[in-house]
Amino acid sequence: MFTLILPELIVILTAFLILGVDLFVSEKNRVVLAPLTLVGLGAATAAIFFQMPEAGALFGGRFAVDSVTWWFKFLFILSTGITIALSLDMLDGRKVLENAQTPRLRFRGEYYTILLFTLSGMMFLVSARDLITLYVSLELATIPLFVLASWKRDGNAGEAGLKYVIMGALASALLLYGFSLLYGLTGQTDLHAISQGLTPSPLLWLAVALIVSGIGFKMTIVPFHFWAAEVYQGAPTPITAYLSVASKGAGLALMFQLFFRVFGGFFKDWQIAIAVFAALTMTLGNLGAIVQNNIKRFMAFSAISQAGYMIMGFLGPQKESIASMIFYMWVYVITNLAVFGVIIFHSNQTGKEEITDYRGLAQTNPLMALGMMLGLFGLAGIPPLSGFVGKFFLFSIASATGFHWLVAVAAVNSTISLYYYLRIVRQMYIEPPAAGAKALEVSPVLGFTVTTTVLASVALGVFPFFYNIVNAQTSGWMSLFVK
Amino acid sequence: MGLVSWLVLLPFLTTVAVVLTPASKSRNIRWVAALGTGAHLLLTAFVTWKYWQAASPDFPSMKTALATKLYLVERMPWFESMGIQYFVGLDGISMAMIILTSIIIFTGVMASWNVEVRTKEFFALLLTLVTGVFGVFVSFDLFLFFVFYELAVLPMYLLIGVWGTGPKEYSAMKLTLMLMVGSAFILVGILALYHVSGTHSFDLITLGQATYDSDFQRWVFPMLFVGFGVLGALYPFHTWSPDGHASAPTAVSMLHAGVLMKLGGYGALRIAVYLLPQGAQYWGLFFMAVTTINILYGSFGAITQKDLKYFTAYSSVSHCGFVLFGVAALNMMSFKGAIIQMFSHGIMTGLFFGLIGMVYGRTHTRIIPEMGGLAKVMPWLATCFYIAGLASLGLPGFSGFVAESSVFLGGFFGNPWHDITAMRILTLLATCSVVVTAVYVLRGLAKVFAGPITDAHFEHLTDATLTERISTGMLVATLAVVGLMPGTLINLIESSVYPLVNRLHAIGGKF
Repeated sequence: MFTLILPELIVILTAFLILGVDLFVSEKNRVVLAPLTLVGLGAATAAIFFQMPEAGALFGGRFAVDSVTWWFKFLFILSTGITIALSLDMLDGRKVLENAQTPRLRFRGEYYTILLFTLSGMMFLVSARDLITLYVSLELATIPLFVLASWKRDGNAGEAGLKYVIMGALASALLLYGFSLLYGLTGQTDLHAISQGLTPSPLLWLAVALIVSGIGFKMTIVPFHFWAAEVYQGAPTPITAYLSVASKGAGLALMFQLFFRVFGGFFKDWQIAIAVFAALTMTLGNLGAIVQNNIKRFMAFSAISQAGYMIMGFLGPQKESIASMIFYMWVYVITNLAVFGVIIFHSNQTGKEEITDYRGLAQTNPLMALGMMLGLFGLAGIPPLSGFVGKFFLFSIASATGFHWLVAVAAVNSTISLYYYLRIVRQMYIEPPAAGAKALEVSPVLGFTVTTTVLASVALGVFPFFYNIVNAQTSGWMSLFVK
Repeated sequence: MGLVSWLVLLPFLTTVAVVLTPASKSRNIRWVAALGTGAHLLLTAFVTWKYWQAASPDFPSMKTALATKLYLVERMPWFESMGIQYFVGLDGISMAMIILTSIIIFTGVMASWNVEVRTKEFFALLLTLVTGVFGVFVSFDLFLFFVFYELAVLPMYLLIGVWGTGPKEYSAMKLTLMLMVGSAFILVGILALYHVSGTHSFDLITLGQATYDSDFQRWVFPMLFVGFGVLGALYPFHTWSPDGHASAPTAVSMLHAGVLMKLGGYGALRIAVYLLPQGAQYWGLFFMAVTTINILYGSFGAITQKDLKYFTAYSSVSHCGFVLFGVAALNMMSFKGAIIQMFSHGIMTGLFFGLIGMVYGRTHTRIIPEMGGLAKVMPWLATCFYIAGLASLGLPGFSGFVAESSVFLGGFFGNPWHDITAMRILTLLATCSVVVTAVYVLRGLAKVFAGPITDAHFEHLTDATLTERISTGMLVATLAVVGLMPGTLINLIESSVYPLVNRLHAIGGKF
């Protein structure tokens, strides 16, 4: 039974271990912290593999493990690991990057520790089976992110941090209010018990509305997305990447917890609202992205529109819903991190973040440009990349539930998104390089990360096993909650 | 790996080979591309022979068949839980299209022998695109079909954007976005078919056995037809075509007008009409009217053009209109005409764009009034141009005549579901375009090639090089062979057209 919580324990122990080691080693030797963190993450992954066929509950049912939690935890660990790989150059400042333009990030030890804390929060979040545990783990996942977002300590970072804290606090407050209404309605804190006790009433709809706005903040669902652009711009780029993947994954996990576990009985009632939110989110996110010139703000709006596609999976109790959403989240995380890998590589070397700064990249650094293009096409959903397969499955759910109009909106939105992704491709491939532009140096870790993520994003779309495994394990999951 | 997979795999492997060839040796890259596509031509010939052997005994029985029969089929589960398979095979229509594509890509590579800027990327993208096209023609699983369909469209953006001329970024973006919106509608249609059929399969044959109620057919059919129509230059969604073709480099125009636009007509026939006969009957006359506008608008548009590429692009809009007109007229004759027109127009327009590229490479102008008397310095190119022009106005002896006359006869015969008078009026209107075509083709050719040389610069221009002669010669020969012996091509496709018509009668009935 103890093994059920082992992955979380490993992550937390690693966090404290890093904090301790950080105290006793000199600045020069702090390069060992990153490998140490990665070893911890590897051990946690192994622990999940080890527990894999086992499902069960601990602490009187407040903490439980099942098929869906495995896949989310893997995802969180993976995105944390890749984020650390992407941060390495900025934290350790390898020799090859001495001419790098971006100032180094300081306080490595704290950086890894805080990242691990937010990871543990996310992992607890998927396993929580009780309103209190759920809320506490959500805060554990969110509060460290406020710190990370303002890590750079300049004007933009300050704005990002403050905006994130205020909006985040507001969202948490709304969510908590919603939770308290749920408790008031049923007198229970256990998620399963609440779902049994709920009957339709105006108060319930109020609770749902409050909870939706709280989740909307995490998932950047329109109209709760306002914080995203500034926070993404001000945060250090690896943290921007992390926010766009792991934080969104946590939002999706939270939606799984509340919408399937708690409100699963009211599928018909919230279906149409989800469709409207999805349509709004993808459309406004896309329209916002068209006018951006800063690549990080651009990725913020791109991430907003992706959230719109993701929640299409909640439209109907289809057999494939769970697998489709988890699969798409994986694909999105991997593809988005590939794109961020190139962005970090580019801004590390040039210190620039405008879209026009990418001109001629295909001629100076053809492989990185190719990686970026494949990543962007993956996000746009172009076959045979996995982004297409993932979107196709999600669209299929909308189609199966009769929301053909939403499929049309979503498919046209994919075209709009292709327009702005092509803006970057155009800079890289069509525009000539600036006069005197030389090939930028690719650090081994970024080169490796971008290569593997791009290859993975292609492979997930071409080879079906990953989807098949996820589907085999999770296809029965929803029937427990949704009738 | 069976034969049909190789049809797709070979261009893909050629792409890989091109990518692996060192970029500094642009000559080697061209040779790799030429060898790959040349080998594909041989492979296609072999596959055609195999197909013929397998399929010809079944020809008589296909007259009453309700489902199209596939040969050299390969199936493999893919995303199994969704019912998605790797399912490829050939029927007569796809066989004809494969032959067309194989010829066009080989001649296209020959015609791009002088691409010196970023040669490697150019050929890699061109071959990726053609991999997608071959994939579309052999796929009988709609998911796989769609994957290849988009793969065939997207490389166009870079091909036009990087190697194009004129307002290339604008044209490239316009083309990509319009085609992608088209494919968005196709996606909606495909998913709707999948879920409503209840077959849990994307397999075209299985989907064809399901029944769809007529309301459903009525709204899905136009989605699919218009979605494919965008790529087939259906009025008023054709506006990407003149800009795109005018800006594209030679081989890309050849491939795009020659093959890619055919995906539109192919998809409309293969998926929309095949699966939704009642929808086709409901919308047939409407789309006949729209495509009549297509035909007339394209040919009148061509009259006013001064730029040779715009001129040909508008004439393509008109000729692709015949394809969709034939599809919308819903009878045996018109379907056959539409398919022959796809083939014939593919070859003809490939020839046109190839020649324009060759002439432009010499004169550095495409403006018709600025040229004159070129036949004196480039007799080979001029002769080929005349042949292409005469074929495009439907001169008997070339494939265009066979195609257009079948489409018109089909339209004139009418079908049981639509008012015969209306169909005949539309057909007569469409026929008028042939006269208009004659006007613009003859006038344009006379200005460019006949008469005295107008500009002293032109006197030192050279005639076609060896690769250019191979390229144009092959296309001219194909035009003539199909024109003189249309029976071979008709036999090839006929057996696969019967099921389409039989389904209209059996499943459709009166709505």
